[in-house]
Amino acid sequence: MIRALPLLALLLAAAPAAAREWVVSPDGPLRTPQEALARAADGDLVRVLAGTYAAPLAVTRSVTLQGEGWPVLDGGGRGTVVRIEAPGVTLRGFVVRGSGISLDEEHSGVSVEGPRAVIEGNRLQDVLFGVYLRHAAASVVRGNQIRGKTLALGRRGDAIRVWNSDGTTIAGNRVHGSRDVVLWYSKRLTVRDNHVEQGRYGLHFMYCDDATIQGNLLADNSVGAFLMYSRRLRLVGNTIAGNHGPSGYGVGLKDMDEPRVADNLFVGNRVAAFLDSTPREWHGSATLEGNLFAGNDIGIRLMPSVRRVDILGNSFVENHEQVELAGGGGDPGANLWRGNYWSDYAGYDADGDGLGDVPYRSQRLFESLLARRPELRLFAYSPAAQAVDFAAQAFPLVRPQPKLEDAAPRMRPHVPAGAPTLPPARGGAAPGLAAAAVLVTAALLALPAHRTRRRRQGSPACAPGHPPPELLRIRSLPRGSAMTEHPLIEVRSLSKSFGRRTALADVSFTVHRGQAVALWGANGAGKTTALRALLGVMPCDGEVAVGGFDVRRQGKQARRLLGFVPQEIAFPEMTAGEALELFARLHRAPLDRIAELVASLGLEGELEAAVHGLSGGRKQRLALAVALLADPPVLLLDEATANLDVAARRDFLELLLELKAAGKTIVFSSHRPEEVLALADRVVHLEGGRLQPERPPRELLADELQPDLAPPPGRTAAAARAAAPPTPLPAAPGGRLALHHLAKETRHGS
Amino acid sequence: MAPSLRTLALLTRKELRDAWRNRWFLLYGTAFTVLALGLSWLGVTGVARTGFAGAGRTAGSLVNLVILVVPLMGITLGAQAIAADRERGSLLYLLAQPIDTLEVVLAKFLGLTAAVTAALLVGFGVTGMVMAGKGGFEQAAPFLGFLGFAVLLGAASVGLGLLISALSARASMAAGVALFVWLGLLLLGDLGLMGTALTMKLEIRHLLAAALVNPLQVFKLGALLVLRGGLEALGPAGLFAARTWGEQLVPLLASILAAWTLATVGGTAWVMQRKGGLE
Repeated sequence: MIRALPLLALLLAAAPAAAREWVVSPDGPLRTPQEALARAADGDLVRVLAGTYAAPLAVTRSVTLQGEGWPVLDGGGRGTVVRIEAPGVTLRGFVVRGSGISLDEEHSGVSVEGPRAVIEGNRLQDVLFGVYLRHAAASVVRGNQIRGKTLALGRRGDAIRVWNSDGTTIAGNRVHGSRDVVLWYSKRLTVRDNHVEQGRYGLHFMYCDDATIQGNLLADNSVGAFLMYSRRLRLVGNTIAGNHGPSGYGVGLKDMDEPRVADNLFVGNRVAAFLDSTPREWHGSATLEGNLFAGNDIGIRLMPSVRRVDILGNSFVENHEQVELAGGGGDPGANLWRGNYWSDYAGYDADGDGLGDVPYRSQRLFESLLARRPELRLFAYSPAAQAVDFAAQAFPLVRPQPKLEDAAPRMRPHVPAGAPTLPPARGGAAPGLAAAAVLVTAALLALPAHRTRRRRQGSPACAPGHPPPELLRIRSLPRGSAMTEHPLIEVRSLSKSFGRRTALADVSFTVHRGQAVALWGANGAGKTTALRALLGVMPCDGEVAVGGFDVRRQGKQARRLLGFVPQEIAFPEMTAGEALELFARLHRAPLDRIAELVASLGLEGELEAAVHGLSGGRKQRLALAVALLADPPVLLLDEATANLDVAARRDFLELLLELKAAGKTIVFSSHRPEEVLALADRVVHLEGGRLQPERPPRELLADELQPDLAPPPGRTAAAARAAAPPTPLPAAPGGRLALHHLAKETRHGS
Repeated sequence: MAPSLRTLALLTRKELRDAWRNRWFLLYGTAFTVLALGLSWLGVTGVARTGFAGAGRTAGSLVNLVILVVPLMGITLGAQAIAADRERGSLLYLLAQPIDTLEVVLAKFLGLTAAVTAALLVGFGVTGMVMAGKGGFEQAAPFLGFLGFAVLLGAASVGLGLLISALSARASMAAGVALFVWLGLLLLGDLGLMGTALTMKLEIRHLLAAALVNPLQVFKLGALLVLRGGLEALGPAGLFAARTWGEQLVPLLASILAAWTLATVGGTAWVMQRKGGLE
C-alpha cells in the first residue's frame, strides 16, 4: 500500500488539471469575456451572463463560451466581432452584432480558423459576414440565426462561408437577407435543415465532393442552390421556392459528376433546375428523380451539352414551360425521360397500371421558336403565344420535332414527403385591407347610378298633387343680347354639303321674336340640316346667330336660348323622371320646374316609366317638357309630330299653339300642311337645299291641300288642280280651323 | 371654352348609370369577376392534387385574363357610346343642349372608364379578399399596382373605343371595327411582330420598342413587373427593359398607357369637333 503511494502521486501529477468555470457578468468580478479568457485554460467553461460586452473578442484557448440570457458581443461597427483561433472552441448562446463593413478584410460576426469548432444557437445581427470558417475541419455551425447588414446585395457579405473545412456540418440555421451561403473546397459536408431566404445564392458549392444537402428551405433568393465542380453530391428532400432574378434558378448544376437530385420540391422559381455540362466526364452520370416541379416559369432547362442524365419519376405540374432545351434542336434521346408526371399530358391509361399508354412528347411550337429566338419570350403570357401553339396542333405541318419523349408517363403526380413546408404568408392584415378598400371604392363608383334616382323620388319637386303652374312663361332676354333690336335668329349665306351632295346652298333668313316659322320642303330639301345648323351642332359655312350669339363660337350661350324637340326622344337607359332631372340640372333650372311641367303636360304617372316604353305622344310631351325646363324663348322642332297618331298630333299641336300664343318663338319643320297652316306665321321654303321666294303660308300650301292627289292619265297635276273646284282652306290666323280639320280626321277614324 | 365641371359631373354620372344598366357591361363584369375568382382560387389552392402552384402562374393567368377581357370591355363599350347615340338621335339631343362636344366626349370617357374601373375593382376586390384569406399574396403594393395598370389599360381601351365610335358612321360598323381592333391588338399585332422578329432578326431593342406600341403588351410588362418584381420571365427583352430603364420602367409603362388614353380621347374630341358629331 505504502509502495503504491508514489505511483498514485505520479498519476495525479500527470493527469490534466480539472476544467474550471469562469463567470463573466457586468457586475464582476470578471466584467468582460476578454478578462475570463486571459485566465482560462484549454477545456474551461466561460459563462457569460446577460449584458452588453464590447468586442473584438479573440479566442485563443480551446474553451467553451456559454452565453446565458443572451449576452451581446458588440463589435461597434468595426472589424470582426469574434475571432476563434484555437481548435475545439464552442460558442453558444450569444448575440453577436455590429461587425465592420469591409468586404476586402472580410469583417465577420464569427471568424473560425481552428478545427472542430461548434458555433451553436447564436444570433448574429448586423454583420457583414456571419460565420466564416477557414481551415476549420469537422466544425459544426448549428441553430444560429443570421441576419446581414441592410446593404445593397452586392455589398453584403456571406451569411456562412466555409473554406477548406472538410467534414463540416451546417444545420438548422436561419439565414435572412444576407448575400450567399458559400461552401468551397471542402469534402464530406453536411448541409441540412437550414432556411435561407431573401439572399443571392441560397447555397453555393464549388469543389465539394461527397456533400449531402438535405431538408433545407431555400426561398426567395436569386438562386436557390448553385452546385459546381463537385462529385457525388446529394440534394435530397429540400424545398426550393420562389427564386427569381436574371439568373433565377432553383438549383443549378454545372460541371457536376454523379449528382443525385431527388425528392425535392421546386415551386414557383424562374427556372427550377438548370443543367450545364453535367455530367462533366464522359462516363459520368446524373440523376433527377422523384422531384416535384410546380408552377415554375421553366421546369428544367438543359444546355446542349447535357447528356446521359436520368430524369425519372418526377412530377411536372403547370410550369409555364415544362422543359427547355436551350440553344434549340439537340438530341431528344440524349437523356432518359421515364415515368414522369406531366400536367399537360393528353394520353390515357387503359390498362390501369398508373402509366400512360401513349408517350408524352413535348413539342410546343412557341417553345420551339423560343429556342431559336429567345427574345420572343417577350410574348410569353400573351394569347399570341397560345395561338401559335394552337396553330401547331391544328396544322401538323408546322408542328416542331419533339424535344423529349417520355415513353411511360405517370398518370398521377407524386409529391415528395419530408421536404420542409413552404412558409406561410407574412402579409398580415394589409392585403386583406387593401382588397376591402378596393371593394369599397367599387361601391363608391357604382353609387351615382342609384343615387340620382333615389334623390329624385324624394324630391318635393316631383311630388304628386303639386299645383299646375303656368306653363307658358316668357323669359327675359339675356343681358347683352341684341334680341330686341335685331331678329332673334339670323341665318346668313348658310351652306352645307355632305360629300358631293349639297344640303344647303346660300340660305339666308331671319326669325323675329314671337314668330312661328315653318321649314317646308320635300325630303332632302334641307330642313333638318337647317335646324341642326341653328343648333350649332354641325360645322357649316355661313353665319347663324341666335339672340346675337354665334352658334359656332358661342354655342353654349346660343343653345341656352333654344329648346329642342326632335322627331323622337331616345334615352333607352333612362326613366322619364331621370331624363327631366338630368336636363334640369344641365340647364340649371330649378327642380320645382319639373313638377310644374309634369303637371302642365299631363305626364303624371310617367316619371318612373322608361323613356323607350312611353307612347309616341308621351315621348313628345316629355321632349317638350325638357325643352321648356329652362323656359327658353325659342323652340326648335324637327318634325316633332311625324311619329304621332292623329289624336296625339292634335294634342301636341294644341300645346304648341298655346306656347305660340304665350309668345314663344317657334321654328319647326313639318311635312303636314295642316300643321303649318295652323301654326306658322311664315314659311321658309327649301327645295334641293336652296331657299325659295317667300310666300304666305296659305298661298304656298294651297296646292298641297287640293283633294286630287293623282292626276288622271294624260293630265299634269297643275292642269288637274286647275280643273278641280276650289277647296276651302283652314282659316287663319291662329290655325283654329286647321285644328278642327285634325279633329275631324280623328272623329272619322282616319 | 373650358369644359364646365358641373356639366361634366352630371354627364359622367349619366354615362356611369347607363353603363350599369347595359346588359353587355353586366355580362362582361360578371364574367370577369367569376373568371378572376376562379383563376385565383386555383392559384392559391394548388392544382392537379399537388397543393402547389406558383405565384407566377397565378399572376400569368390574371394578366392573361385582363388582356383578354378588359380591352374587349373597354373597346366595345366605347365603340357603342357615340355611334349608337348618334344613330338613335340621343347624341343630337345632348348636343342640342348648352353642352360642348368636348364635354360630351370627356363625360363619355370618364363615365365608361369609371364603369370599367368599377368592374375591375369588384373583380379584383373579391379575388383579393379570397387570396388574402388563403394567404395567396403577402403584400398589398403589387396587388394595387397590378390593379392600377389594369385600370390604365381599361382607360386606354375606352379611349380607343370612343375614337372608333366617332369615326364610324353606324353602330354596327363601330362594333365590327372594335372587334377587329381588339383582335388585332390581342393576336394579329403580336403574331406579326413575332414573324417579323423571326424573319428579320430584329434586335432586342427594336423588338421591344415595336411591342410597346401595343397597349396590351405595355400592360403585360407593367403588370408582371409589379406582381413579380422583375421581367426575367419575359426573357432577354424583359431583362433588357428592366436594365435599360431600371426604376423608371413602371412610370414609363404607365405613361405609355396614359399617352394612349390622351391620344385617343383627344382624337375623338377632334373628330367630333370636326364632324360635328352627327355625321
